[in-house]
Amino acid sequence: MKSPAFSYYEAKDLADAINVKKTDDDAVILAGGQSLLPTLNMRLSNPSVLIDISEIKELREIKIEDGFLCIGAMSSHSKVMNNKDVNEVLPILCKILSQVAHPAIRNKGTHGGSVAYGDPAAELPAFAVLVDAQIVLSGFSGERIVSAKEFYKGLFETSINSDEILTSVKYPINQNNKQLFFDEITRRHGDYAMAGLVGSIVQKNKINEEINFVFFGTGDKPNEAPKTCEYLLNNEYNYTDIKDILKTDIEFASDISSSSDMKAHLSAILVGRMMKELN
Amino acid sequence: MSYSNKVIISMVINNENYDDLTVETRQHLGDFLRDLGFKGTHLGCEQGACGACNVLVDGESVRSCLMLAVQANGKNITTVEGLETSEMEIVKDCFVKNNAMQCGFCSSGMLMTTYEIIKSKRKYSREEIREMISGNYCRCTGYQAIVDAVEDSLNKINVGM
Repeated sequence: MKSPAFSYYEAKDLADAINVKKTDDDAVILAGGQSLLPTLNMRLSNPSVLIDISEIKELREIKIEDGFLCIGAMSSHSKVMNNKDVNEVLPILCKILSQVAHPAIRNKGTHGGSVAYGDPAAELPAFAVLVDAQIVLSGFSGERIVSAKEFYKGLFETSINSDEILTSVKYPINQNNKQLFFDEITRRHGDYAMAGLVGSIVQKNKINEEINFVFFGTGDKPNEAPKTCEYLLNNEYNYTDIKDILKTDIEFASDISSSSDMKAHLSAILVGRMMKELN
Repeated sequence: MSYSNKVIISMVINNENYDDLTVETRQHLGDFLRDLGFKGTHLGCEQGACGACNVLVDGESVRSCLMLAVQANGKNITTVEGLETSEMEIVKDCFVKNNAMQCGFCSSGMLMTTYEIIKSKRKYSREEIREMISGNYCRCTGYQAIVDAVEDSLNKINVGM
């Protein structure tokens, strides 16, 4: 299908983009467009105007500042993946991005777009929650920072106000000796995962002191699993128990590729892989 | 606030200037290119899944169905008709020789992805080639021959050897 009619506005700077957004409730920000354009082509959304923010240079910066890796919203996945600083301070992010879609989509899709869109099956929102990234939002009355754990409210629902634009994502670099893990199960390389896991473990004298999981592709938003983490601090991994406890942590939602029980199964398998790799 | 649904744009396509063309803001780059006569850009799914419509924008492969024509204003576009570097001539020969074209519908997109592979100037295992072309559907299911062709191209161009 072809997209419905809409207008197009190329924002000169951030203030300009925010001004247009504030005056029109049906205006939508166009970042890389790799999720927006399909929904337009399928006529699942009907914006009045697309505000193109691609010419705002300050949104493309990637830098290390005050213990954070700051990634400007308009940095493409390819740019982030190949950035020297990112590879040095947060190499797991490069590993994650290599599983995000395909080269042609990574060249255009943006970091901020993925975090702001909040697709529950996407990798970046889950990773942001795992390391509790700071999400920087700019609006009419200035800038504010929301912690990633507070940012995702529900299915494609975030705490961005209608006059706000996500300008950057700040990842804490010092992970306190946390070992980070990422894996996902997909039907085709680069597809959205049937289930995916980002996790961290802090060990002292080879004893697990802290475990964290965030699952994606499993529910209506990035899913944490506190009871499963608690269980694994005191018990060995056991597939059947973990699958049962995961079901008390997460309301697994079925999708076109797999039933909710299948997702619980895959999640338990992923936990097993992580415990094996990091222990 | 009201804005126009039509805009005037200019771009370079295959090293030729196309100036002051009026487009509907909703038109994607793939349709725009085909309307101009670049029919080598094939439209399959128009939702980003199949990769048949890949073109190069400023030297990077992009899905032309997931980019508006207006977003290409001022950019340098290469369609399959313009893939004429000496390296890409070798790649095209390898595709023909290895029978990697078959019906030809996915070929322009496959060639754009192969351009990305060649551009990175490093070695690829067959598994990595498969990962790179995983964003391009071939409904003749000629993947084996396509992987052969990409591997053959890499050997002939001597990338990273």
